[in-house]
Amino acid sequence: MGGTVAPEKILRELSDLWVSLGREAPAPADAGVLRACSMTFVVLAEESDDVQSLGETIAALMPAHPARALVVRLRGAGERALSERVYAQCWMPFGQRKQICCEQIEITASDSALADLPSIVLPLAVPDFPLILWCRSARLWGLPEFRPIEAMAHKVVVDSAAFADQKAVLPRMAEAVTRGVLLGDLSWTRLTRWREMLAQVFENRQYLAQLPRVSRVYVEFAEPFEALAWYMGAWIADSLADVGVPAELTVAPEADGPSLRVTLSGEGIQVELARQEERLTIVVNALSHCTNLPRPAEHLLLREEAGIVRHDPVFEKALASAARLAYPGDK
Amino acid sequence: MPIENPFQDPLRFERRVPECAIAIFGAHGDLTSRKLMPALYRLAYDRRLSAGFAVIGISRTAMSDDQFREKMQESVKQFSEDTTFDADVWKAFASGLFYVAGDIGDAALYRNIGAKLAEVEQARHTGGNVLFYLSTQPSQYAAASQGLGAAGLGKGNGWRRLVVEKPFGHDLASARELSSRLHEVFQESDVYRIDHYLGKETVQNILAFRFGNGIFEPLWNRRYVNHVQITGAESIGVEGRGAYYQETGALADMIQNHLLQVMATIAMEPSASFHANSVRDERSKLLRSIHAMTPDEIRQNAVPGQYGPAKIGGEDVPGFRQEKGVDPQSQANTYAAVAFSVENWRWAGVPFYLRTGKRLPKRVTEIAIQFNPAPLAIFEDEDGPGSAPNLLIVRIQPEEGISLKFLSKRPGEGMTLRPVSMDFNYGSSFGERSPSAYETLLLDAVIGDPTLYTRQDMVEASWAVVEPIQNVWRETKFDFPNYAAGTWGPAAADEMLARRGHVWRKP
Ligand SMILES: NC(=O)c1ccc[n+]([C@@H]2O[C@H](COP(=O)([O-])OP(=O)(O)OC[C@H]3O[C@@H](n4cnc5c(N)ncnc54)[C@H](OP(=O)(O)O)[C@@H]3O)[C@@H](O)[C@H]2O)c1
Repeated sequence: MGGTVAPEKILRELSDLWVSLGREAPAPADAGVLRACSMTFVVLAEESDDVQSLGETIAALMPAHPARALVVRLRGAGERALSERVYAQCWMPFGQRKQICCEQIEITASDSALADLPSIVLPLAVPDFPLILWCRSARLWGLPEFRPIEAMAHKVVVDSAAFADQKAVLPRMAEAVTRGVLLGDLSWTRLTRWREMLAQVFENRQYLAQLPRVSRVYVEFAEPFEALAWYMGAWIADSLADVGVPAELTVAPEADGPSLRVTLSGEGIQVELARQEERLTIVVNALSHCTNLPRPAEHLLLREEAGIVRHDPVFEKALASAARLAYPGDK
Repeated sequence: MPIENPFQDPLRFERRVPECAIAIFGAHGDLTSRKLMPALYRLAYDRRLSAGFAVIGISRTAMSDDQFREKMQESVKQFSEDTTFDADVWKAFASGLFYVAGDIGDAALYRNIGAKLAEVEQARHTGGNVLFYLSTQPSQYAAASQGLGAAGLGKGNGWRRLVVEKPFGHDLASARELSSRLHEVFQESDVYRIDHYLGKETVQNILAFRFGNGIFEPLWNRRYVNHVQITGAESIGVEGRGAYYQETGALADMIQNHLLQVMATIAMEPSASFHANSVRDERSKLLRSIHAMTPDEIRQNAVPGQYGPAKIGGEDVPGFRQEKGVDPQSQANTYAAVAFSVENWRWAGVPFYLRTGKRLPKRVTEIAIQFNPAPLAIFEDEDGPGSAPNLLIVRIQPEEGISLKFLSKRPGEGMTLRPVSMDFNYGSSFGERSPSAYETLLLDAVIGDPTLYTRQDMVEASWAVVEPIQNVWRETKFDFPNYAAGTWGPAAADEMLARRGHVWRKP
């Protein structure tokens, strides 16, 4: 395996790729290949990561955020290695005659070659569009080599649920935000529909009028959803505090419960949201309502995050509070 | 003091949708089956509707709630183009469907509607909010509104709004009269006149394109734009609606509303904000600056057409006069082309050619903005200089998108130029599903955002320019049919452009 990668060679290969895609395209002038790009999407993944499913996730993201995708596969320790491969990801949108193609570049790097990554990624980034970095590797996030890579990105997306100690990662993420990093956490993104349903309950004027009576917020979670639970608890408590409603918050694991259950209660009001399988049940006082809420696929979460390349004050506040709540001892 | 909902997160959440009941007059009709119910179901599928949501279907045919639900289920299955039918979502959605039978002219109907609304308000917590949707024959619009008013249903615990389907009047006087009848019960701000073209993603995208970018607006005026062509072509005939079409015609059915609204969107001045009234003020101002032509001007600048029989793809296609329910001597226009001029500083002297027709070669709606040629032609291309003008094409259907046509050097020796096209394919560049116009518009009405609805002054302004044409055409006997089915319309329409040195595009 070669030890160097020349970005210019990759760019040449990309341009050849477009020429050959154009040639292969069907004849009529208004059919053909359409090149679309709205960002550079860099993925950092361990070599052990399932390439196939990662490829599918990236492909599924492309229709909403056409991008030049750069997948960096980390080989870990061992002999210094760096290599690349270029290909296109094409699809024919339903009912259309034009194929849409996005470029994909795969780079394999050993830990010892990590320091070279920024000098390769930077020239490959599409000018004038944001660079979104999706770090799938909890290990890399802790390495000092990560900082210069992070510095290139307009936004960094991680998934706290992928970390062994979800609770512990919250303060580290909060710290990155205070450093000015635009951060997204897929655990938070998983809560969007939940939060929306809760907000929807209080769009009803009758329930909104009862909101000041809420005095307790209870969040129960099953093991893999600890970060979600802290986020949810912190966000609800903050939101209530914003309108002058103090409520006691409890975030507790529940061995056999559903993945997540959230209860707001007080005199004459009880609102409960719980997920069971693919359903979200909302019970407001005695009235129960159930909607379809399939677990969002990763590409849908990424789609949401890639659509917000700016400060997200609600998330940043919830993250700071969740980090504080999860570790009350820390300042 | 009431508190604000602290859980809203506008950066991530879809727009707030209040709880409400939608009462549809004409629930047994075609539009409800084809468009309204599939749109509402899709909104439910996407969790865009609040839990306290209900539909009350109203029409003459006797049906129970369950029969209505069954009929609507069939419609949703049959007419939802790109939405899978999910039995669980349907079940939850259908539990909010109710039905009331009765005649619009009968006071008892409104008592029953009132009772049903009260019941639904209790059971489904709709908060007393009601959106009335008039999807019956236009002759019933005023009667339905007055019936609601007489029964006291125009007001209630929550808001009350009225959506009115097209056509809104058949001339200026009838449009005015209808507005004033509706205003006896509903304020203008609560009247939502639907023009489903404005709900189309690409039409909305025109605003984004023009006012979100800095590079196009400087070119958007008489100095750089040569002329504009707006085409709304259909390949189908009147499809059994011959009798209706005979009364209306292409001019009133398409140009008076849809194409003039599209023209207003393309030509309006930038609005100071994206607030509903500010956008609508600009649209309205543009419509009011369109020159209302004299009969002599009309004979020069407006061409009606009617299709005759032809063979298309080996198949015999009847002419309009051979369609079912159509008078064999009918003078109705199935094609209309008009050259409008706008009397303001930006557009003085720039013709806006609008055309629409049935049985044209293909179904396409697009706007083509043709720019002036370069001031000096220093290259000789094959067909002579200036033969390929710069064109900006905004396609509304079928493949929504924007293309820019410009000249480029042909690879190889010599300075030969050829036109190339730079495409932005809206729906597919972001291969996302676009919501249907009815989804967008229904949600807007529930939310209370009238930006994409037409206001009284807009409707009247467009009738003011269309009615004189109607009058002249009514008094003239045309030698119809004047175009064969499957062609791009009458020769007179080509001549109308040729007199100004222009040609129709063949999209
Ligand atoms: N169809 C389209 O694609 C389309 C497109 C754009 C605009 N529109 C407009 O939408 C409206 C509805 O069109 P449509 O095609 O759905 O019409 P339609 O199929 O003829 O349906 C008319 C509906 O109105 C009801 N109705 C008629 N007279 C009534 C009365 N006196 N009292 C109570 N209900 C009465 C009918 O009830 P019964 O069947 O029970 O008698 C039926 O449900 C029209 O204004 C049309 O111009 C339609």
